[in-house]
Amino acid sequence: MPDARASSLDAVTDEALARAIAAGAAGSTDAEEAELYRRFAPRVRLYGRRHLHDGASADDLAQDVLLRTIERLRAGEVRRPEEIGSFILGTSRMMAHGERRVARRRDALAARFMDRSMETPPPSAAALDAPRVAECLHALPERDRLVVLLTFYADREAPRIAEDLRVKPGAVRAIRHRAMTRLRDCVLGGARP
Amino acid sequence: MTAPECGRMSLVDLSDYAAGDLPEAEAAAVEEHLFACTDCARRAAELDALVRGIRSAARSAEVGGFVTDDILNRLARDGVRVRTFTLLPGAIVPCAVWDDDDVMALRLRGDFGDASEITLSQRVAGAEVVRATGQIAPSPNGEVIHAVPAGWIRQLPVVDVEILLTTPESGGEREIGRYTLAHGGTMHR
Repeated sequence: MPDARASSLDAVTDEALARAIAAGAAGSTDAEEAELYRRFAPRVRLYGRRHLHDGASADDLAQDVLLRTIERLRAGEVRRPEEIGSFILGTSRMMAHGERRVARRRDALAARFMDRSMETPPPSAAALDAPRVAECLHALPERDRLVVLLTFYADREAPRIAEDLRVKPGAVRAIRHRAMTRLRDCVLGGARP
Repeated sequence: MTAPECGRMSLVDLSDYAAGDLPEAEAAAVEEHLFACTDCARRAAELDALVRGIRSAARSAEVGGFVTDDILNRLARDGVRVRTFTLLPGAIVPCAVWDDDDVMALRLRGDFGDASEITLSQRVAGAEVVRATGQIAPSPNGEVIHAVPAGWIRQLPVVDVEILLTTPESGGEREIGRYTLAHGGTMHR
């Protein structure tokens, strides 16, 4: 489980985190593993969204990639810890291609290497207040909200959305830009909806 | 001295990436940078949190508004219970939601003509309780879908809910359809 050390890890470089996990005994680097997860899971999830076109699969990919990374660090198989970001990107690419194998491996690796509690993404990535997001979504113009939901909930790409809304794909992008900025300001900035 | 923050990728740039809007080569360049840059990683985390929040909010069935079949299908896949009513202009339809319904989807049909902007007005006991205007395109079979949280319907007494769809035309408004839901209360299984 992540402990009080986690708060002191903010200033630690990615390389130092990777080296600490590689050098630590199993069970002694939970805070470092949680920090590595906190830093990289959002990026891997975005990678997964881009390549797997499905939010749930992207969630699974993030978990699998970080589990695999920790396994490889522990085994001394990451030759250049100073390039841990590149390693994680490479692992994301490889695992996205082998998506079908992932579910079987996840359970086995989690049982061997990681506290099950880490399977729940940390609060910073997971716990935006859903009622607040719903309120802010509701406050968007009807078409803007529809574009956001079709993109990030129904996992539709711009050409399909453009067809449904009878606009050009470029317009979908422009609507999404405006909507996401307003939504971010409302949800994260505390602006009134 | 603090190093200047990398401003290469904004939340909007990253949303283009996540939405699959970038060509392959450009997406690959984004990935190479993103996995090496702490500043851009923070913005990625912000977008990731926002996207996860959008998905949770959608699944909570509290958002409402105009939707499409793609969204209803996704809700169904996520186990959200959607009760659907298809209404023709002039229809008076008995309506009740079950106590475990999450969303009521109203398929409102009518003569949309060339309408590019639609206003939906919903009245309960004469008082307007919902007014939604948007540049919403009707589906090829001539309908728009409006989603209402079932929890909102459940708290209504036995009452008629009147819905009016209009579109701006020739400096005024043209009626597309008027529909009545005769709400008979919540049903229990």
